[in-house]
Amino acid sequence: MLLASAGLFGPSQAWAADVELSSQTVAQGYEVASPWEGSSIERRRLLQIVGFSLHRLQGATDGAGGDYSLRLGMRVDSDFGLGNHLPDRVRDAETRWTRASGAYFVPGLRTAQLDLMYGYLEGRGLGGGWLDFRAGRQYLVDVLGWWSFDGALTRVTTPWYFDLEVYGGLEQRGGLPLSTSRFEAQGMWRGRRADFGGEGEPRTSDFPGYQEAAAAPAFGAALESSGPSWVHGRLSYRRVFNTGSATTGMFDDGGALAGQTDELRTSSDRIGGSVQLLEGSLGGLRGGLAYDLYGQLIPSAYAGLEVFVGERVTVGADLDYVEPVFDADSIFNWFTKSPSTTGTLRGAWRIGSQVELAGSGGVRAWSTEGDPAAFGDAQCAAVGLGPGCGAAADIGDATSASLREVTRSEELRSTDVLLDALAHVGGSYRGSLGRLELRSSLQTGARARQVGADLSAERSLDGGRYALGARLSVYEFSELQSGEGSAGTRAPRDATSFAYVLGAGFRPLDGTRLSLEWEHDMNRLVGQRFRVLGSLELRWSR
Amino acid sequence: MVSMKTRGARHAAARALAALVLLAAALLGWLVPAPGSLGLRPATAEDRPEGAPRVVGPYLSGVSPLPHDAPVPLAWMPPGSDLSPTPSDEIFPPQTITIRFNHQRHVGELGQSCLSCHASVTTSDRGSDRLLPEPVASCDRCHDVDHRDLAKVTAGEAENGQCGYCHLGAGAAEGKIARTVMPAPNLHFSHEKHLARNIGCGHCHGRVEQLELATRDQLPRMAGCLGCHAKPTAARGEAHAECTTCHLREPSGALRTEFATGPLLPPAWLKQSGHGPDWIERHRSVAANDSRYCASCHEENECVACHDGRVRPRKVHPNDWLSMHPTAARLDNPRCTSCHQQQSFCADCHRRVGVARDGPLGARPAGARFHPPPSEWTTAPRGPNHHAWEAQRNLHACVSCHAERDCATCHATRGVGGGQGVNPHPSGFVGRCGRAYAQNPRPCLVCHQPGDRALARCR
Repeated sequence: MLLASAGLFGPSQAWAADVELSSQTVAQGYEVASPWEGSSIERRRLLQIVGFSLHRLQGATDGAGGDYSLRLGMRVDSDFGLGNHLPDRVRDAETRWTRASGAYFVPGLRTAQLDLMYGYLEGRGLGGGWLDFRAGRQYLVDVLGWWSFDGALTRVTTPWYFDLEVYGGLEQRGGLPLSTSRFEAQGMWRGRRADFGGEGEPRTSDFPGYQEAAAAPAFGAALESSGPSWVHGRLSYRRVFNTGSATTGMFDDGGALAGQTDELRTSSDRIGGSVQLLEGSLGGLRGGLAYDLYGQLIPSAYAGLEVFVGERVTVGADLDYVEPVFDADSIFNWFTKSPSTTGTLRGAWRIGSQVELAGSGGVRAWSTEGDPAAFGDAQCAAVGLGPGCGAAADIGDATSASLREVTRSEELRSTDVLLDALAHVGGSYRGSLGRLELRSSLQTGARARQVGADLSAERSLDGGRYALGARLSVYEFSELQSGEGSAGTRAPRDATSFAYVLGAGFRPLDGTRLSLEWEHDMNRLVGQRFRVLGSLELRWSR
Repeated sequence: MVSMKTRGARHAAARALAALVLLAAALLGWLVPAPGSLGLRPATAEDRPEGAPRVVGPYLSGVSPLPHDAPVPLAWMPPGSDLSPTPSDEIFPPQTITIRFNHQRHVGELGQSCLSCHASVTTSDRGSDRLLPEPVASCDRCHDVDHRDLAKVTAGEAENGQCGYCHLGAGAAEGKIARTVMPAPNLHFSHEKHLARNIGCGHCHGRVEQLELATRDQLPRMAGCLGCHAKPTAARGEAHAECTTCHLREPSGALRTEFATGPLLPPAWLKQSGHGPDWIERHRSVAANDSRYCASCHEENECVACHDGRVRPRKVHPNDWLSMHPTAARLDNPRCTSCHQQQSFCADCHRRVGVARDGPLGARPAGARFHPPPSEWTTAPRGPNHHAWEAQRNLHACVSCHAERDCATCHATRGVGGGQGVNPHPSGFVGRCGRAYAQNPRPCLVCHQPGDRALARCR
């Protein structure tokens, strides 16, 4: 792309592009505790991100014929702690099957992962301002989610207060070159398993859920309003396909898995829309909804009302609805699952130009298809036993005709709701001398509770050349769990956590920043843990 | 990095907490604004040293917008002041005004126009142009003073020519003039273009002629600018509503947001995008609706830092998150998937620490259980602690650890399918499965054999 752009724009006119180079290097060291007594895994991570941008590629014109730019961001995320918790002789057993007979092998785990975050050529304002395009790896954000693909996007600005956007390419998928799995739909475990089945390599049947990554063609279109500031809306459609072979048999059938499919099939197929109405002196209303055409359900919807009460106070109400959906290859789409709905009221108060307070409170409703308290008793009755029979013994084959009949009974599948309460309070001071922030939260319900607060302060010195920061937090958390005391069951997770972070930053030159952070966490489950993080950021442009 | 699980962790925590409170207090102490100010006030007779020029005053007019610093009525303020009571520090950095001046008297009573003193606005094409009155051309015409040599300003005999008549500060009476600090705005603006379109001073600055001293509060508000700039295309003409029409930008095209006074942040009324303390919780719907608006200021890197990040973002996850995240996943799981892919990001780590059924054999001690015993968790009858309920409420959490085979072990059909035939499908499934099967048969074939009678109903 670089060469192409140089060829296109370089020789014919004076070079007047803006160039920007940036890099970020972050070293981290910490431990992840196992819930079982014994080893913890060590993380010795080194992250390096490099960015390169060229702007105004068209040269020393005013951009009337279009504004071209090129952006590139790559990173390497290395973990030099892999295997450090293992005995020396099997230290590389997490990434090599042959070590320890596969006892520690995790498919797809790599010491260093290289990915291209984004890399595209962009043109804006072409054709007299009517046409924009992007070509390459790019992100797309709308009501359908945060997504990345390799391909081309074209946007046409029409004279009728809306833009038309069309795009197509390949979804970014883990296991493919220079890619991560972040942007593929949930529910599938993909990577490279081309070596599986070879000598000294695991069999496919050892990890039947680990699928070979393959290209995922995708296309989409959107209509988006433009012009009026009091309304904004976007209607979006996207479809992604799975290609390549996917295992269907999960169990070893004489050394081979029972089946596989390799046809072109849907990965996700969604349509969604969002709209925002705003009156600057009164407030605003916004909402969005996505519909999954494959699962034939609404995976997410939200609505919010915001009212400006005077110059400094805002109050509002929000509703958020989520139902899990997965890649169409995944079996999890077709399990009984229910949405969770969160409703909150909130308020924000701007006290002067430097201090703000905000708070919210509400409930989250988790629903089930059936009443957990009564369902079991109906099953007991179906096999001729009294209520609570399951506490004494297993009542037998869950697929027996009598149990199956009662389990599938529509009468027992009425919706039951469990409510959690939640609240957030936050505040900030942001002045010329520094910054102070408070964040506190409470979430509590029948299954778990978490309550606590963070207080952080940051102060710049010598005109921003130096910076000092601290963050103090206290949280109490507990997971209400049955089965405590049963043989082999892990210890219950409830503890009070004290933690602090101390940090310092230094800008030796313009565009350069060095920082160092020290984190010390304490709770009864893991004792004391430490984390160090150092980073160096460089940015240069001309 | 270092693990020291001790019984004394709580004591250590208490000591650390005390030390940190002291540290935080020290930091907070630094955040308190330094005492004292410039102490600007009208010159008085007490300020006059021995042999100094004739002392005038004290004067009470022209030292604030209205007498006795009374609040300025909204109708006299710049348009948009109802939404933004004060101008942005980042666009209009704080000023130090060491002059007293009565616009009401000069304009209303003496019949001067704005251009009488601010003549250079007619040719000003940049926001950084200095448009304050030229003392010789503007002041000396009427006041008994000679500013031609600023190193040696000569005061006349008349009271209105004395330094302390206009200049404020403790030394004004003896000619020690405090400097007026009026930094250039961080903005593209052409007075010339606006005036050429017959946009008068009051359209942006409000009713200055009703006021005594004009202060920073009389500078324009963005809400006022958008009164014209955000009009539909035909009405606004060349006044494009793009952010960069007025705001400074980086080479990347994004707005410049870092200034000496702090970060440039959007107001609450602009796309409901006020970046207040609850912004992390609220930003999703704003970005989902209009991500190009976000891209006015934010580059991809900033979004990726959280949404596909490799370093834990402290604004999202508090300290000691590794210990707390299982609880959070139970309480607020929908948020996890906005940044994490469960079968790779979550499950990879879970496999390594032995919190996954298909993880390495060596990662979990034999017989160790993460969930309650089978009598509660898996077998019939389905009591309140049965896994089916938790799976229904929060299936994402299950998928953070379990791969398909874990579930198919029981839920696949019997026989070659390998399972026990426990039907996991929801109510109304049969009505939906046909269309889904046509688009992708793979999930059906994981649990059902191709010849399965149950599968025939979906074909």
